[in-house]
Amino acid sequence: MSKEEKDARFEAELLPVLDPLYNFAYRLTLDEDDANDLVQETYLKAYRFFDYFEQGTNAKAWLFRILKNSFINEFRKKSKQPAKVDYSEVEGYYNSEDVEGEGGVATTTDMRTESVQDLIGDEVASALNALPVDFRTVIILCDLEGFTYEEMAKILDIPIGTVRSRLHRARNSLKEKLEKYAKSMGYNS
Amino acid sequence: MESKFTEVYQRTSEDGHETDCDKVSHLLDLIIDDEATAAELSFFNSHIEACVSCFENHQKQKLLKGLISGHLKRAIVPESLALAIKAKIQETV
Repeated sequence: MSKEEKDARFEAELLPVLDPLYNFAYRLTLDEDDANDLVQETYLKAYRFFDYFEQGTNAKAWLFRILKNSFINEFRKKSKQPAKVDYSEVEGYYNSEDVEGEGGVATTTDMRTESVQDLIGDEVASALNALPVDFRTVIILCDLEGFTYEEMAKILDIPIGTVRSRLHRARNSLKEKLEKYAKSMGYNS
Repeated sequence: MESKFTEVYQRTSEDGHETDCDKVSHLLDLIIDDEATAAELSFFNSHIEACVSCFENHQKQKLLKGLISGHLKRAIVPESLALAIKAKIQETV
């Protein structure tokens, strides 16, 4: 494969994931410049390993995994953000399956830009951003990006049981934060 | 005679066994994430028809998921980003 062919294939298969990938980076770093750097770094790594990338592989899950690892291994050290508790460090178990699986991850819908929607969105965003990064991550992967538990396990290198329990705790935590606000819109807990 | 169905399901067992309500509360995430098996789904559906409290818990959990999927604003990708990535790739041999 010539470099031109490789570049064309790379752009066709991986650049469509740019939007969800940037959103993931932004929700992890909470900073536009940091998100920008993280996404560029992710694509460069993906390019270096693109020869091992087989057609039909779940490109989105693969890129999300590279980004998540970059964030943990290198990025967070130099980030302005103070490191928060990473639950994967205490959970231990390492699941070394390679990223693969069927495509067809549900795309998320754009939200409407009415002012009420904006207000709710702001409230949800601040509650989400206040969660520890590992909790934030599972919520984003599951509820925003529509990954399955199996895909999440592969992206995060954790067993499905850990995905489930982390998601459960993340939702409980989010629920607490949104409780006050939610009550005002008829969500009584 | 009207009986309170929920009491049957909500009764906490003294011997430490999981009640049906406990089981359903552990299934809630699987249900809203579309990850439950057919058997789990059928158990869940027949339980919430009879148990108002679990029915409501399910509604709340769905609402919570909906708040994220439907109301969280997406960040707008800077226009320069795709170009920057393409440029870097072209430099890379």
